[in-house]
Amino acid sequence: MSLRDQISEIIETEPVALFMKGTPSFVACGNSQRALTALRTAGAPVTAVDILPDPRFRQELSALSGWPTIPQVFVKGELVGGADIVEELAATGELERKLTDALGEGFGDAREERVIALAAA
Amino acid sequence: MDAGHTTEPRGIEIGGYDGDVATESLQKLLNEAFPDATELFVVDRTGGGDHFQVTVTSPRFEGLSLVDQHRLVYDALAAPLSDGTIHELRIKTKGTA
Repeated sequence: MSLRDQISEIIETEPVALFMKGTPSFVACGNSQRALTALRTAGAPVTAVDILPDPRFRQELSALSGWPTIPQVFVKGELVGGADIVEELAATGELERKLTDALGEGFGDAREERVIALAAA
Repeated sequence: MDAGHTTEPRGIEIGGYDGDVATESLQKLLNEAFPDATELFVVDRTGGGDHFQVTVTSPRFEGLSLVDQHRLVYDALAAPLSDGTIHELRIKTKGTA
């Protein structure tokens, strides 16, 4: 599968996708940490994707989303934003509402945090 | 004002060590993109001229999602984002209602 198809599939199929620098157990950037912390606080079932292993990961993601910076958070295929927006939405409680609307009550119960690795074509 | 002196992108230094110059050039791009902003400022967060906090309050943001508000800021700063002048950008946007 092409890189772009892998990224689209993650965006479309994962309830909450976080494209970040590093992984939740080894975060490599303060802004990725801010987004992860906000998502965790809201109880989101995070699927994390590390964009650092290959510069093409980030290029393809930004080409697809039209969003120039990392991190990027998607809920059910929709771009929710980067660290600033996710943090702001978490602070106002709107993030939890959005998660409930998109994923239903008990959105956090189903799954643990997980990591998907992209494969360079 | 600087109208008429804009053929050279004054003061944009690649790798920008001059934080003030970089801040000023971002401010100028944003002023052009949001002429009706009621609040608009750029802060060099680290003094290194590449980590910025941008705050914009504008009637143009009314009715737009935060994603679309931030997209307008990214559009205004597309050049310094793509040439590496901006290493990190924090954005705070608000409508005026």
